[in-house]
Amino acid sequence: MPETQNVYEIPIGPIHPALKEPIRLTFRVEGERIRGVDVRTGFAHRGIEFMGMKRNLIQTLYLSERICGICSISHPIAITLAVERAAGIEVPPRAQYLRVIYSELERIHSHLLWAGVAAHELGFDTLLHLTWKVREQVLDILEELSGNRIDYAIPIYGGVRRDIVPAQVPKVEAMVRYYRGLLDELLDAFLRDPSVEARTRNVGILTAEEADSLCAVGPTARASGLPKDVRQDRPYLVYGELGVKAITPRDYGLEPRGDVYDKAVVRLLEVGQSLDLIETCLVEMPDGEITSFPKIPALLAHLKKAEGEGLGWHEAPRGEVIHYIRLEAGVEEPVVWKVKAPTYSNVMSWVPMFRDQEVADIPIIAASIDPCICCMDRVHVVRDGSEATVQMEELLRLSREKTDRVTRRLSPVPRHGGWA
Amino acid sequence: MTADQVRRALTAAVPGLQPELRPRKVGVRAPVEVPELWAEVPREGLVAAVAALKAAGPLHISIISGRDVGEEIELLYHLAAGYGTPGGEVMVTLRVTVPKSDPTVPSICGILPGAETTEREKIEFLGVNFTGIPSTAHVFLPDGFPGHPWRKDDPETAKLVNRLVEWEGKDA
Repeated sequence: MPETQNVYEIPIGPIHPALKEPIRLTFRVEGERIRGVDVRTGFAHRGIEFMGMKRNLIQTLYLSERICGICSISHPIAITLAVERAAGIEVPPRAQYLRVIYSELERIHSHLLWAGVAAHELGFDTLLHLTWKVREQVLDILEELSGNRIDYAIPIYGGVRRDIVPAQVPKVEAMVRYYRGLLDELLDAFLRDPSVEARTRNVGILTAEEADSLCAVGPTARASGLPKDVRQDRPYLVYGELGVKAITPRDYGLEPRGDVYDKAVVRLLEVGQSLDLIETCLVEMPDGEITSFPKIPALLAHLKKAEGEGLGWHEAPRGEVIHYIRLEAGVEEPVVWKVKAPTYSNVMSWVPMFRDQEVADIPIIAASIDPCICCMDRVHVVRDGSEATVQMEELLRLSREKTDRVTRRLSPVPRHGGWA
Repeated sequence: MTADQVRRALTAAVPGLQPELRPRKVGVRAPVEVPELWAEVPREGLVAAVAALKAAGPLHISIISGRDVGEEIELLYHLAAGYGTPGGEVMVTLRVTVPKSDPTVPSICGILPGAETTEREKIEFLGVNFTGIPSTAHVFLPDGFPGHPWRKDDPETAKLVNRLVEWEGKDA
């Protein structure tokens, strides 16, 4: 990288309109060209693993679900698989199929969410509104099945918490038909639109070699032509029997280039793949129990006696998520709980992707790995050039003062009696 | 890749290594066994072991997990050998134990550049040193954060937790 005196530094973030979550990207730019980038994470680090190691396993399961609002099935699936492995718990066949159905529903909503964000970053807000409108269908189904649009609280150690009852099956099938009829239109809107192509073709390239050496995962790696998919490579649940195949741009008749366009290709095709998987699961799913521990106290007692360690993995919408857990007999909380979210593996891919790109393309390149930053504590404040950390008490005091100020101005009667 | 190939690569690189096979039964209609290998590696043999895995096929590092076990720190390298092979990936976990008096491990970034984030995280959280790592800057914790939160004997973390407990008690 030739450093000249015309190289300037531009900080983007931690809070910036181009970003959806807090992260700091410091760019070195020469004119409109990016010459280098420094990535700093940690602005949303909440110390969740530390908290989990102070709580019993059921509480930790709830905590795992709150690592990320979008991956609120992926993390619970990985932690339940890890704990089941460590504690020797079997999962009934029906529950395994149910877990797959929920994960694929999550993949559909996550990929559509990404597609909308990507369209917005390109300045194509009509497409954002279209994708987010159609995304409502899958969220409605998730709400119908689990009771919630996000944070479904479905997996539990030994199975799942809710069954899909016969009356709900036609609704899921109708959703599958709805998206089937729509997928071509979406592919058309994204992949055959000249303005989208102009903004995404050959932009933010990650070569197959770079993706391999930087250990990229998920659609980020697949768009570069690496057919890596945990569901295919390291089978778990019933994915091995469902015959999942990693999707690369080759499945769309394109030679992979690893640019933003290819990432859109992979994600949109994966929506179709998830529809197939849901349909197959609904047909193949056997009747039977949905959990091997219907009573929570019995489950907790079993977990307290368990001793061992285990790994659980899952292909989340953004790539490989993996949880490691270690249990000791007589202790309710996990001795070790380590979580790896897909973005953790993909952050380093930004460095080659930004190289020699234009400043205007920063938002779409940043969004192309579908970053999910909320895996990280503490609020970081930069004031007068010096950094300081604001603790929770101080933050809470400031926010209450502000609420007081605002409510006083708005209404003659105090809106609340204050919190005790 | 098969578990046997991975085992041979590991034992050839680090003599005396005894990888333990922990297969798991996966599936409902026609269950298959998905292999997993776990091995204890002395820190002197870590780089050789990872290099042997890399030479045997595409290699991916998922994460390094770790824990404080009294006088020692245990690090677990979770690697996927044969990454990207349909049904042929073997999860390999290398267990490296280092004394707290000298918590130094060689960096594997020379072989797997993608290991940098997770190695840097272990510097912050467990106070482990990696020789040869390209950067030691913090990834998750603020610069100048006192202590290492996953060390059980860390006084700074204990202070932070105590403040939080006191505060929660007051506010509840």
